[in-house]
Amino acid sequence: MQLAGPPRTSSVRSRLRVAACLLLASGVPVLAHADGAPINTLDVTTLLYGEKDRARVIEPNVRVTRIYPDGQSFSGQLGIDVITGASPSGALPSGSVQTTTTPSGNRTSSEQGATPLTSFQDLRVSFDGDWTRPFLRAFTSTLGLRVSREKDYRSVGANAKLSVDLMNKLTILTGGLGFNHDQVDPVGGTHGGLGDGTVIPGRGVNPKEVHTAVLGVSRIITRRWIMAVNGSRTSEGGYLTDPYKVISLMDGESGLTVGQVTEQRPSTRVRKDILTTAAYHLEEDVIHASYRYYWDDWGVKSSTADVKYRSEVDPDAHVYVEPHLRYYTQTPADFFTFGFVQGAALPAYATSDYRLGPLRSVTLGATVGFELSGYPGEWTVRAEYIRQYGDASKANVTGVQKQFELFPAVNIGTVVIGYSLDF
Amino acid sequence: MRIAGVALLVALAGLSTGCAATAVKPWDRDLLAKKQMRLIHQPMLNAVDDHVYFSKEGSTGGMDAGGGGCGCN
Repeated sequence: MQLAGPPRTSSVRSRLRVAACLLLASGVPVLAHADGAPINTLDVTTLLYGEKDRARVIEPNVRVTRIYPDGQSFSGQLGIDVITGASPSGALPSGSVQTTTTPSGNRTSSEQGATPLTSFQDLRVSFDGDWTRPFLRAFTSTLGLRVSREKDYRSVGANAKLSVDLMNKLTILTGGLGFNHDQVDPVGGTHGGLGDGTVIPGRGVNPKEVHTAVLGVSRIITRRWIMAVNGSRTSEGGYLTDPYKVISLMDGESGLTVGQVTEQRPSTRVRKDILTTAAYHLEEDVIHASYRYYWDDWGVKSSTADVKYRSEVDPDAHVYVEPHLRYYTQTPADFFTFGFVQGAALPAYATSDYRLGPLRSVTLGATVGFELSGYPGEWTVRAEYIRQYGDASKANVTGVQKQFELFPAVNIGTVVIGYSLDF
Repeated sequence: MRIAGVALLVALAGLSTGCAATAVKPWDRDLLAKKQMRLIHQPMLNAVDDHVYFSKEGSTGGMDAGGGGCGCN
């Protein structure tokens, strides 16, 4: 009688069978080929980035991951950034055609009322390596190494993460530490802060150290819903000033620019954030949502909301479309200013870098994923539009400056082409 | 910002002790096993985004313990 099996047992076996099939079919990295050999994954992306009338970037990245039958994996990623174009110098519009020389020696020119820009070009090469190892059934450790180099900036860093599975893997607790030792070597030398750009004689490279601690938990809530909460604290020390940014001095009556000083930021910064992320599986589609709250001791507070909706257009052919919406808003740093009135006492720290101003940003875009019939691997193509804008209505400016757009919107377009192959 | 810190601790404790969830058995995790259900389901795109926003905004942070490494901001 019992050989017929109770319905429950049959249900369990059926579900296990379904789960096993889905695991194999879903693209989750299996631990090994059928013959027990390690599996390799190749991921390639190329970012094409362009700001209207400003910077352009081409950034190819190649990552190779090797996964062994015991769950251990090694991965290495090589990235190259080719950066050209121009970025705001921090100066105010002059009211006339203006040509100035920045601390790095680059010549800057701007039309009347236009935001002064500084041209630049750079090449950044980076390498990341990670080693992940499961042990004692419930633990997973990850050790990482990061190295990058560009014309005026070098960085070497390491990080370690430890995760523990709890309650039959319903919950994963993760803790991590990261450390970076960076060196800033400004083109043209290091200048004194809030000065005329005079280079400090004999000043070598400027060190900068970054320490990060991360603590998080992810949790399976229901059969369709997983979420996580992560908190991080980052402590930075050393040279945190942007050596190429300046602050305008304006006439107290007319508002016309009469000079400029270099910017100066504090030599320490403590950043904290809380990030909540969730994924929810609908009948076929998946929603990803996240919210991050950030604050630091420079006075910057920000909120970031991000939603992606993955729509399975043709699941059998692995074709999907994933629209993406992101909204970001931040408060300005305590020492952010649009400019100074000539002759006024200068504070200890100041910047006119709009990225530390009252900034908002909206991202709208979509990713299309597909496979080419008869060819291995998965392709993704993503196109996004980013608009950055801000509020200059309370700007501390005089005269003619009140007529200018002091926080012009930045329009950015990005395209990312990706390819992933298991072999 | 102590409120945010307390909120994080409460969330961590709540999620880790399972106060908000009933147990989802391993054989019920077929949907959760899909690649698109990973919280970072497109890590390469995610890394590109992190780099772009790090260079264009005044704040950063998230799930990685990397930190630093770019002169772009």
